[in-house]
Amino acid sequence: MAILLRCGPLSAEDGEGRELYASVTVSLDEENLTVLEGPSGGGKSTLLRQVAGLAPAKRVTRELGGRRWGENELPDWRSQVTLLMQDAPVIPGSVLENLSFPYLLGSAGGRAFDNERAGRLLEEVGLGTIAIDRPASTLSGGERHRLALVRALLWEAPVLLADEPLSGLDGPRASRCFDLLREHARRPGHAVLCVLHDPSMGRATDRRLCLEPEGLTAK
Amino acid sequence: MSGLIQLTPVDLLVATVLVIAAGLVSLAMRLDIEKRLALSAVRTVVQLGLVGLILERVFALRRPTLVFVSLVVMIIFAGREASSRSNRAYRGMRWDTLLAMGATCLVVGAVVTQVVVGVQPWYDPQYVIPLLGMILGNSLNGVSLCLDRLLEHLSVRRHEIELRLVFGATRSEALREPIRAAIRTGMIPVTNMMAAAGIVALPGMMTGQILAGAPPMQAVAYQIVIMFTLAAANAMGSMLIATAAARRLVAADGRLKAES
Repeated sequence: MAILLRCGPLSAEDGEGRELYASVTVSLDEENLTVLEGPSGGGKSTLLRQVAGLAPAKRVTRELGGRRWGENELPDWRSQVTLLMQDAPVIPGSVLENLSFPYLLGSAGGRAFDNERAGRLLEEVGLGTIAIDRPASTLSGGERHRLALVRALLWEAPVLLADEPLSGLDGPRASRCFDLLREHARRPGHAVLCVLHDPSMGRATDRRLCLEPEGLTAK
Repeated sequence: MSGLIQLTPVDLLVATVLVIAAGLVSLAMRLDIEKRLALSAVRTVVQLGLVGLILERVFALRRPTLVFVSLVVMIIFAGREASSRSNRAYRGMRWDTLLAMGATCLVVGAVVTQVVVGVQPWYDPQYVIPLLGMILGNSLNGVSLCLDRLLEHLSVRRHEIELRLVFGATRSEALREPIRAAIRTGMIPVTNMMAAAGIVALPGMMTGQILAGAPPMQAVAYQIVIMFTLAAANAMGSMLIATAAARRLVAADGRLKAES
């Protein structure tokens, strides 16, 4: 299977200067859902933020679809390697505004917000009954995570980096959202790297990686 | 100005009774502000007394270098004050507030003294110093409010900025809303002042001119010039400080530098 993304070497320390990991290179296969595991506080979120280009990382080589991306192309890189953030933040405004704001950015290019597909996805994640003009700030934690997932799936980035996207979801809903992520990952030209709160769900995946101080190992 | 009633030291002492009365209210109601009030009153007397002495000297000598030095000192103090009023800080903040205050004061001050009022000679301290002092005093408020709001946004609402970044927003796209909100906040005092002018209160400069015997319509004309000048100064000062702070705190690729 072809490698879709390669990013590294990445190193990070915690707030006290203790090394979390060193010289780690993340590589993701196309049409694959990879789950990232590791001890709590071991730097999984930091690794995802570094791959997404949100956390600082020095002398890193970034490759996507065989093309190397420079430091000055980070905004474009982020639009292709999109991070689903751990705490599922929202911007001030309605549910609809929260789904559609990326299409107002220059990075959207010619892409347009697909209202119909947004409705279908909202239905699938159990948010079909929520009014789209409702202020997003009034959503619960679990609802925000599902909204973030719908936004990320609509954006159609080749690579999704999902940091605990199922937090606050009950069993059946978490399962359905995980299925959507896996369906997205298994499409041609796509891949997903996911950190899961519940490791048991990681069994239904294509590949499992473990982040430890010694490095990134396959399980 | 022949109608001007001269104030004597006795008049000032009588006025002191008023501030003492305010202190007694604080004591009676246990507001615990009497010490602060006393200290502020002493500072007012000392600072204004010194300024009065310096201005009398500067007005008497009428030398451009002396006017220039006075302005530089005023700008430095204003820049320092603007940064110290903020609840948050970052490295280089004092330089940014100094730059914002200095550029605002010189550009807007030049337009109002040289083009609008047409001061002759160009450095006439009787006009240049009070006009630029008003610009500095007011834009100081705007700049510090704007800076405080922007720093709060970058700290408390950083996830909202990152949410835009993860979808490929550039630095200017990610910062558009925080900068807009900060400038809006910086402009609030001057827009409020303009909206209330003449209805809620007579503005300070106009009151001063009327007390000094100027015809009311002339005082009004000066006040309008001053208010429009202050609006421009607040807008420019807020824009400059917001841009300078954002460029220092957010990397060119949009990443918030506080994380590094």
